[in-house]
Amino acid sequence: MKEKRVILSVENITKRFLGTVALNKVSMELRENEILAVIGENGAGKSTLMKILSGIYSSKEYEGNIYVNNKLCQFRNPHDSENAGIAMIYQELNLELDLTVAENILLGRYPRTKLGFVDWKKMRKMAKEVLERLHANIDVNATVRSLSPSMQQLVCIARALLRNPKILILDEPTSVLTENETKVFMNLLHEMKEQGISCIYISHKLDEVFQLCDRVIVLRDGQLICEYEKKHGYDSKSIINSMIGRRLDVMYPQIEKKEDDTELLRIENFRVPHTSAYGKSIIKDVSFSIKKGEILGLAGLVGSGRSELVNAIFGLLPKTSGRIYMEGREAKINNPEDAIKLGIGLLTEDRKKNGYVWSMSIEHNMTLAILRELRKGIFIDSKKEQEIAKEYFTKLNVKAPGIKTLITSLSGGNQQKVILARWLMTKLKLLILDEPTRGIDVGTKAEIYKLMVDLSKSGISILMISSELPELLAMCDRFIVLGKGVVQAELERGEANEVNIMQAASNT
Amino acid sequence: MLDIKRDNKKGSIKKFLKWFFIRQESSIIIVLVLYSLIVTLVNPVFISTANVINILRSTGFTLIMVVGMTFVLITAGLDLSVGAVFALGAIICGLSMQAGIPIILSILLGMLSGLVIGIFIGTVIVKTGIPPLIVTLGMMYVCRGLVSIITKGVPVYPLPEQFMLIEQTKIFNSLPVIILISVAIAVIGHIILSKTVFGRSVYAIGGNEEAAKISGINITKVKMAVYIMTSTLAAISGILMSSRLGSAEPAAGTGIELKVIAGSIIGGISTFGGMGTILGASLGALFMEVMTNSLTLMKVSVYWQNLVFGVILIASVLLDQYKRRLIIRQSVKAKD
Repeated sequence: MKEKRVILSVENITKRFLGTVALNKVSMELRENEILAVIGENGAGKSTLMKILSGIYSSKEYEGNIYVNNKLCQFRNPHDSENAGIAMIYQELNLELDLTVAENILLGRYPRTKLGFVDWKKMRKMAKEVLERLHANIDVNATVRSLSPSMQQLVCIARALLRNPKILILDEPTSVLTENETKVFMNLLHEMKEQGISCIYISHKLDEVFQLCDRVIVLRDGQLICEYEKKHGYDSKSIINSMIGRRLDVMYPQIEKKEDDTELLRIENFRVPHTSAYGKSIIKDVSFSIKKGEILGLAGLVGSGRSELVNAIFGLLPKTSGRIYMEGREAKINNPEDAIKLGIGLLTEDRKKNGYVWSMSIEHNMTLAILRELRKGIFIDSKKEQEIAKEYFTKLNVKAPGIKTLITSLSGGNQQKVILARWLMTKLKLLILDEPTRGIDVGTKAEIYKLMVDLSKSGISILMISSELPELLAMCDRFIVLGKGVVQAELERGEANEVNIMQAASNT
Repeated sequence: MLDIKRDNKKGSIKKFLKWFFIRQESSIIIVLVLYSLIVTLVNPVFISTANVINILRSTGFTLIMVVGMTFVLITAGLDLSVGAVFALGAIICGLSMQAGIPIILSILLGMLSGLVIGIFIGTVIVKTGIPPLIVTLGMMYVCRGLVSIITKGVPVYPLPEQFMLIEQTKIFNSLPVIILISVAIAVIGHIILSKTVFGRSVYAIGGNEEAAKISGINITKVKMAVYIMTSTLAAISGILMSSRLGSAEPAAGTGIELKVIAGSIIGGISTFGGMGTILGASLGALFMEVMTNSLTLMKVSVYWQNLVFGVILIASVLLDQYKRRLIIRQSVKAKD
């Protein structure tokens, strides 16, 4: 087989941020009909490289050259990059939630009638056509808000496809998708590859990368470390090692069988209303219990109401009916305040939306849930506050200049550690983790897993939601599978596997 | 040896400048000092004791309201009704005194009217989720309406001599008591905002309301409190103004809400919530008064004043944005 034509090549790109080097002489090539994975820990320089390719950083801001089809390109803005045939799909979907699907797909390029008005008919037709290319059965007149995250993802891709790109850059595209949806999505990428679109694929999920990508390049600390090809076979251990630069033999820590059989929390007949569809219930009738020190996994497809269920337990969402028993006694939880008093903590799915307070330092973000305990008279005891913040800063190995650093300047993994610290400081009995490792680098993931095991050993129970099944399977003692608003299956550690969990979740 | 010393000195100056520039109040301090310098060069009367006291005295009335407004703005809220409550408080207090109610009790009644308005505003905002802009705009009209209905447009005067003595008393024969009262309120406000659980909750709600709620902060309570505080302070300011004038004017405080908000923003309070300090906002209030005073001193036509205010407001927000970007860039550097 002859070598494929190179359609994009990057030569000796160096990008500096005020003295620090984010990318150091990185060179790479993208060939025709190829899916290339770019992997690396957070802060390795992946996003910076992609921002250069998509024109967010103009050609004046970095050194080195970019060639598209052997032609030197100097992008001044994202528009130039688009015109060169590069389309980017961002990790955070940038859709206008209250516009329709068609409006979103054609945003910025509405077709016009002769009189200069928007040609709605043509617009809907164009949107429909491009969605058909994706085999997506989505009503073009629906508002994007009413779609599931995976459908929203498709709308984003449709929007990018409309510009007829030759190169598609995807940043963590599957982070909001469930296992099944991911499979469909990957088939789609294969098809697009056949249609002549090359992809650059950024992901933390190695198994996906191995299945999907023809070639993998690894970035670390702004440098290209090595390159692997599919035809030579992938070795996950050596790839992980080149990503983190140190040996990491066991990703998941050993879990020991728990002896303690005391029940900590029991919920009975929970019914939770749907957040967007009025009058419907997303959780219809769910009951389960957690033992002391147990790690319970809550599995289910996206949209099965996992997050809604835990939010209702925590008092963040109202429930239609249901009882909660904490340590055998019935408890009333009407708001998060009540839940915290009972010793429950909630790490939410979306750090940026409702995890951290962007305007605050690491220290102030950490102590947010224990302000009452830090009171000395009417004031906050700032000495005690600093002490405890420093203690957890060291304990959780937060990588930052100090506790006064603004939280927004940290990487996702370190932000997550800060929010975890917030809950660890409380009188914690049950920690609810909603997608705790989403968008987090491998190194920090391992640290979080280790922390979970330590917590469970010290008698703290954990209720964990994760869309990454291998992670859930490795970490939990027991599994509850949600589907159609009820518990579809309850599995012990020994009997659960990806197949029977997926079967139960998608029970049709 | 000498060289090293010089280097050290240079380093510490640089360090100080960096520390100073990153502080939220730095922009307003730079602007205030530079501006005062220019005005003094044009007309030295500006810096005379009498004029400075005059400026501080006028600032006092806005400052009292700015303290409340700072809390509201930091929670990402807004209160447009302060000007109307300013008038209402004075009218209620004045009428009570005319009805023969003791002065102290009348003042308390005036404050109570502000408190009641604050409870109403807070309740509507918290319970219905109607944006603060709309609720307080509505309340502005309601309060102005109440004032008109009660007074039929006629000022309430004369007011008792003793009442007028409150604002007109001078300490050390020169310092009007309003300066002391307003500074005391600002200091208390500063302490509450920066040192108490309540203050921290205010910042947290402005920074990320959902995260604050999940962390167990009682959003309802805190939001209610900031609106009650602001309305009560507005009433207090209005009562003091009527003591200064010897009359409670139905049209008092018209447009002052915008001055209060503009002053706070010039002083570095983020309009998106979560950021700002009482010190910055106080300096912003001072700056507004300095502007009015100096333009008159420099014989700039009154017609120009509004235009200048507008330009300064926009410029100060621009400066603030630039600064914030710089801070973020520095923290990005720390990350890599």
